[in-house]
Amino acid sequence: MSRKMILRVPKFQEPKRMEKSEAQRLWLLLKDAIVEVQHMNASTLSFEELYRSSYSLVIAKRGDILYTGLEEVNNHHTKNLLDKIAQAVDERFLIELNSQWQQYKLQQIMIHDILMYLDRMYVKEPQLKVFDLGMFKWKQNVLIHSQINDRLVRMLLGLIHMERNGEVIDGALMKSLIQMYVDVSLKEKETYKQEFEERFLLATSHFYKSESNLFITNNSCGAYLKKVEIRLIEEEARIKQYLDESTGPKLIKACEDELIANHMQTMIEMETGCRTMIQNDRFNELKLMYRLFQRVENGLVHLKNEFAGYVRNEGHKIVNQPENLKDPNALITSLIEIRNRFEKTLSQSFANNRDFINSVNTAFESFLNENDKLSESLALFIDKKLRGGFKDSNDQEIDVIMNKVILLFRFLSDKDVFKKFYEHYLAKRLLSGRSFSEDLERTMISKFKQECGNQFTSKMEGMFTDMRLSKDALDGFKNYLQTSVEMGKLPKIDMSVRVLTQGFWPTFPPHSCTLPPLLSQYCDLFTKYYCHAHTGRRIIWQTNIGTAEVTFRLPKKTHVLALSTYQMLIMLLFNDAEKLSLKQMAAGTSISFMDIQRSVKPLYSGKYKVLKRTPAVEKSKELSENDIFELNLNLKCKLHRIKFAATSQTDSEPERQHTRQRVDEDRKIEIDAAIVRIMKSRKALIHNDLIVECTKQLSSRFVPQTSMIKKRIENLIEREYLERFPDDRRRYRYLA
Amino acid sequence: DLKNLLNSSNEFFDFTININYQSQKTYSIECHSAILSSRSEYFKGLLRSKMKEYQERKVEFFDIRPEIMQSFINYIYTGQIELNHENAIEMLVISRKFCSEELIQSITNYIQK
Repeated sequence: MSRKMILRVPKFQEPKRMEKSEAQRLWLLLKDAIVEVQHMNASTLSFEELYRSSYSLVIAKRGDILYTGLEEVNNHHTKNLLDKIAQAVDERFLIELNSQWQQYKLQQIMIHDILMYLDRMYVKEPQLKVFDLGMFKWKQNVLIHSQINDRLVRMLLGLIHMERNGEVIDGALMKSLIQMYVDVSLKEKETYKQEFEERFLLATSHFYKSESNLFITNNSCGAYLKKVEIRLIEEEARIKQYLDESTGPKLIKACEDELIANHMQTMIEMETGCRTMIQNDRFNELKLMYRLFQRVENGLVHLKNEFAGYVRNEGHKIVNQPENLKDPNALITSLIEIRNRFEKTLSQSFANNRDFINSVNTAFESFLNENDKLSESLALFIDKKLRGGFKDSNDQEIDVIMNKVILLFRFLSDKDVFKKFYEHYLAKRLLSGRSFSEDLERTMISKFKQECGNQFTSKMEGMFTDMRLSKDALDGFKNYLQTSVEMGKLPKIDMSVRVLTQGFWPTFPPHSCTLPPLLSQYCDLFTKYYCHAHTGRRIIWQTNIGTAEVTFRLPKKTHVLALSTYQMLIMLLFNDAEKLSLKQMAAGTSISFMDIQRSVKPLYSGKYKVLKRTPAVEKSKELSENDIFELNLNLKCKLHRIKFAATSQTDSEPERQHTRQRVDEDRKIEIDAAIVRIMKSRKALIHNDLIVECTKQLSSRFVPQTSMIKKRIENLIEREYLERFPDDRRRYRYLA
Repeated sequence: DLKNLLNSSNEFFDFTININYQSQKTYSIECHSAILSSRSEYFKGLLRSKMKEYQERKVEFFDIRPEIMQSFINYIYTGQIELNHENAIEMLVISRKFCSEELIQSITNYIQK
């Protein structure tokens, strides 16, 4: 579009030249008006006339007269005000200053309004805007004048000090006077910061330093914490009431530094401090401490370390207490108790903070593995529960205990040791028929399965399968006996056999013994039957874990004795002899002397004595080969059936050693497998990397010793799974 | 809308603008001080300084043509302005005098087109 636009230019707008005298006249008019405004006599002035005068001066390019003139008038006025204000005494000073300031601010708004055209069209950087010019003059001639500034700040700080000491002060006056420092700041509140804020923060630190030092030495930690919380709330309120909001974070930081950060160590260590609170489960005080410490840098680290240290210490005491070392049940019960207690502290006081939970868990890990008996104790604890310890608990309680067991289990570094013990005790429970409930057994196992996977529980599940299959096999055997030809020739005995798949069950130390002919015949029959039904299988008899019932005929009475197989063999010897030495017993049964000792003990030293020692000796005396025993024909017992413990409930030291040895054997296999797995995928690897990788892979089951890994590597090299690089002996190559 | 407020014979008027331009007869615009002060920096200053105009509830202009003032007041009420060759320059002058930044901008745009 090329249409030319014709604009109408009105005549009167042609730039007029303004005479100097006219300019002077207009300025004087404005000056008089400004002075009137400064004396609060504005109501008779015409705004439009003044505005038009300023407008005319500016468009006639005489803005400079106006601007310099204004500066002078403001200068003069503020100097007059200074004298007036400085003369006021005591509290009058603040009131006078404030009322003059309020008026001055209003006047400056009016002057700005009148001179708006000057302000918008004439004033250029670095000149101050009209209103800012007024603020600057007030600052220069009144506020930061030596007669005002120091006096004002001292009085303001004095009032704040009074308020902190509980007196009531005029908040509105404070707000107005403090805001004045902000208003006269040209940029970034610099006057406020320099003249007021800095000194205020210093006074605050000073106040709280002395208050906190005094308070904490004369009061308990709990009282101090409450005091701090109240102080912080008060300061928050102070910010809202009369400080500039930009001071908020700085003020709170100063208070936190003085009230919390500087006393953290004291609050932890003092007699009524953190340690005592943790010891005495003072959840509310700890919660408050947590909230306050959270506010300062590294505060929670201190609290966390203190708590974790306490947990480690308590745990350490428990796992090393002599009574607990003897009583696995008490040990695990105490551990569960402190776990519960600390979980309560964590949730009630420490907001279940992740870091806190982790450090408590690390503490548990460290003290639980301090003692290599823990795996076994835990297995024994469950053993006792599953043998009937759960009898009086409902499902929910049982679940809680089982979960705690899993929790402790999770902290064990040698889970394979635990597994061996658990399998061992499970086998014993199943074989002796002492398991309280198969459901509970399975629940427990499923929890381990969830935690560690199939591999961990496959043997345990295998044991249950064996138990079921054994029952079927036994039924089959009984049918077989009824139809068997040989059966007719034999006296009837009730024999029960359990077939245990090798590998699922712990290998019991091999023991041999001579069975009486009748039993031997039965065993042979069973072997014949079983191997016929399952070709290719081999049966090895484990007589040492069996049980038997024997009829004991006394002159006046008959009892049934529930015995172990070994005890039965020993008792049967007395059918043909009156007195027998231990040596003779061993010879007659082919049982090892140690087992003889263990089996005989319950028979003569328990509540009911079926054997007696001749001549009678002190009970406590160790048994020797030549000690002689005879039947106790004077046995007095109201029960018909008398039950004897086969051995003591906890395992003997050799048995425990045996279990440990088996763990070591298993570990060798696991380490071999891990090394081969790693090398197969990596082909070549430096020694150290292999060790690290191997440790990592096995860590969920146990913590292998480096020396053991080294030995296994050597062994694998011998077996030609690996070889060393000829040029670098520290590197291995996988040989396919 | 707000334009209706200005045109109807509304009893809520509380401020009068009188224009005595050259020798023409006085032209009056009735309006609402609340609207003037909230939509114009100039009128805000005029009213809040509580000077003579505020006391007398009126203001008098000598240097503005009535039509131009009327357009300006319409603009204050509606935010809209009709610009043409006739009024553009005068509207620019008045908007500059009253420091009405948005209006200055739209007139400048119009002239430059």
